[in-house]
Amino acid sequence: MRRSSTLSRIGLHATMLVLVVWSILPFIWTFQTSIKFTRDVAAKKPVLWGYETTANAYRAFWLDEDDINMWSVLVYILVVAVICLILGQIGRRVRHSWPWFTAAVGVIFVALWRFPKVWEVNDEYDFLVNSIVVTVLTMLISLSIGLLAGYGLARYTGISGAVILIVALGFRALPRTAFVLPYFFGAKEIDDWLASSGVGSWDFPLIDFPGIDTLQILDTRLAIVLALVAVNQPFTIWMFRSFFIEVPKEIEEAAMMDGATRLQAFRRVIIPMMWPAIIATGLFTMLLAYNEYLFVRVLAPTEWTLPVAIVSLTGGESSRTITEAAAASVSITLPIVVVIILFQKHLVKGLGAGAVKG
Amino acid sequence: MDPTRVAGLRRRGVKMSTVTLDKITKIYPNGFQAITELSLTLEEGEFLVLVGPSGCGKSTALRMIAGLEDISSGDLYVGDRWLNDVQPKDRDIAMVFQSYALYPQMTVAENIGFPLKLRKISRKERQEQVWQAAEILELTEQLDKKPAQLSGGQRQRVAMGRAIVRRPALFLMDEPLSNLDAKLRVQMRADIAGIQRELGVTTFYVTHDQVEAMTMGDRVAVIKDGILQQAAAPEALYDNPDNVFVAAFIGSPSMNLYEATLSEVGGHYQLQLGDQSLAVPEQILASRPALRDYLDQPVVVGIRPEDLEDAAVASDHPNDQRLDAEVAVREALGAETLVHFSIAAPSVDSGDPDALDELGDEDVSRCTARFSAATRTRVGDRIRVNVSTEKLHFFDRRTHLAIRT
Ligand SMILES: Nc1ncnc2c1ncn2[C@@H]1O[C@H](COP(=O)(O)OP(=O)(O)O)[C@@H](O)[C@H]1O
Ligand SMILES: [Mg+2]
Repeated sequence: MRRSSTLSRIGLHATMLVLVVWSILPFIWTFQTSIKFTRDVAAKKPVLWGYETTANAYRAFWLDEDDINMWSVLVYILVVAVICLILGQIGRRVRHSWPWFTAAVGVIFVALWRFPKVWEVNDEYDFLVNSIVVTVLTMLISLSIGLLAGYGLARYTGISGAVILIVALGFRALPRTAFVLPYFFGAKEIDDWLASSGVGSWDFPLIDFPGIDTLQILDTRLAIVLALVAVNQPFTIWMFRSFFIEVPKEIEEAAMMDGATRLQAFRRVIIPMMWPAIIATGLFTMLLAYNEYLFVRVLAPTEWTLPVAIVSLTGGESSRTITEAAAASVSITLPIVVVIILFQKHLVKGLGAGAVKG
Repeated sequence: MDPTRVAGLRRRGVKMSTVTLDKITKIYPNGFQAITELSLTLEEGEFLVLVGPSGCGKSTALRMIAGLEDISSGDLYVGDRWLNDVQPKDRDIAMVFQSYALYPQMTVAENIGFPLKLRKISRKERQEQVWQAAEILELTEQLDKKPAQLSGGQRQRVAMGRAIVRRPALFLMDEPLSNLDAKLRVQMRADIAGIQRELGVTTFYVTHDQVEAMTMGDRVAVIKDGILQQAAAPEALYDNPDNVFVAAFIGSPSMNLYEATLSEVGGHYQLQLGDQSLAVPEQILASRPALRDYLDQPVVVGIRPEDLEDAAVASDHPNDQRLDAEVAVREALGAETLVHFSIAAPSVDSGDPDALDELGDEDVSRCTARFSAATRTRVGDRIRVNVSTEKLHFFDRRTHLAIRT
């Protein structure tokens, strides 16, 4: 960077500053709005600072009863976070990180499970659970398929591999709107068949799906997951392929000479080299699933996820105050912001994947 | 290897295996025949070096032995086990790759211990064996580092460590030194040969560098275009090359090769080399009776650079066994001096793709001589050059095979 003059450096920084402010201002505005009283928000002359803060909006969004102490909710969340952190610290000392990871997931799961029973909650809580279920399932399925397909396509150099890759790229380029109606009608066909043939209302012996009386696809979280996996697959395959291609074939061959089967070589040598790719691809997939609107709206008319739920706050019959909408918006964004900050490094690495290494 | 040493190594648990390649052929799926009927036998504990120009099929041969490529036809045995259809992991063969192929996410200790871990050897025993291997390779200080933190030479050693820790039946090494700088390469050359001799494991080593081949191998096999040319001890290969390619490929600087005519003039034999002639003593034809069939026909004659000497330095040489030359280039190397001049005789294409391009004129060829350091020649001097005629090599012009009988 020595060669660039001071002037152009100042210009660059100024431009970046403007861009950062440009993108961060709406978020600050939203956050401010969510912790103000309605009267300050509605005031003719904007109240930019020195206003009284309140968690009323959050309370109203998440909880049924207005008089629940927001502090106890925060303490509850904090306790869960601390337990997870402690588990993480223990996990660092133990060489294998799986036990603590499983334990942390368990704690979060129990926390989510217990939450509605500790306090009365709004429907929005169900939407949060939907969001989490859809996101996690989409990530798991997309990553598994993407890893295997990406590996195969990176190692197989035949013509059909190239065809698959190009077709995948083509599908990636098509807009969502091109897929959503076929998915909808396809799902509807299957549902009609399930209903008319009686398979849908089959009472499986021994297996009792909680909360499911009849088998169907439309208006379930499954429908959303299937659709999201389908549209996301080209991305994961290309992403993983670009990472796998950079792994020299000799490394696998060395593992096989060392006494590994092909599968062992993949699992114990190649996959551990893939963690940056898995994390980066996982993050992108998470963003896609968590932010999805169109598919949820069309394929699951009542099983909303948070982005759809938030729309109902700004219009329609369940329209609420602007502070509540802002609180909802902040609540939805916050988990993603935390995750992105934690894994920022990997995300950048993922964006630069396939770039020629110096 | 001598029998008492073999017995001693066996007692220490070293598997001493013979390796037999019987008419092994490789045809790649695209139809390219990379190896043609390669037959070789490695003795117990032998260090065999397969050498040839790049692209001649050395790696292919090695990878077939490793099991990383299918054998199109022919048989492979290690000991008396037929290995053609055995999975790489079950062959009991260790391989060192040119790129080292270390596992980047593992430490040095984990890299070396990986083969043991796959064999479910207990942690304690594993640590012990890794430590032993690390001591042999002087890697004990680096055990906790990742490959990225190591120098090229250290990485090379880790790759070696991963191979020796298992005590396999056979080592395969594919140009393990070609990524090192020249100085390190010389040192590692000696180190690897030393370790191999100490461990006594049969080794199949591949290189394109003939100096490496000559200095490291018990035996050297020269291969060209997938066809084995000659396999012999380094000295035998140097002194009695079977054909023009081996003659030119082994030795640096290369053997000088020309088309010449041998004829009999008044009971004396002489070699017509362009416009000059060399007297050929009777006993040369006596030891090579077949040469008589080539009288008055062009043959290929080979002269090693060290069989040429400045006449001014060694004056007690028969005058009719000398050539005239005009020095074109002189390279003083200290212990010796390389002198280049041209000879008005057609040169011979040995088939080595790396050989120097000949001079533009078809009937004028380059000649390299290795004079003793005592020579006082300067560029442009017209000198006389002694030819040690008893060391001349003769080859058939058409088949390029040596005329030795
Ligand atoms: N998978 C392959 N398919 C077709 N041809 C190949 C393949 N691998 C190598 N070859 C060809 O086989 C020849 C020998 O290759 P290789 O064994 O790698 O040579 P070397 O190791 O002696 O440099 C080369 O001409 C190369 O182009
Ligand atoms: Mg090679």
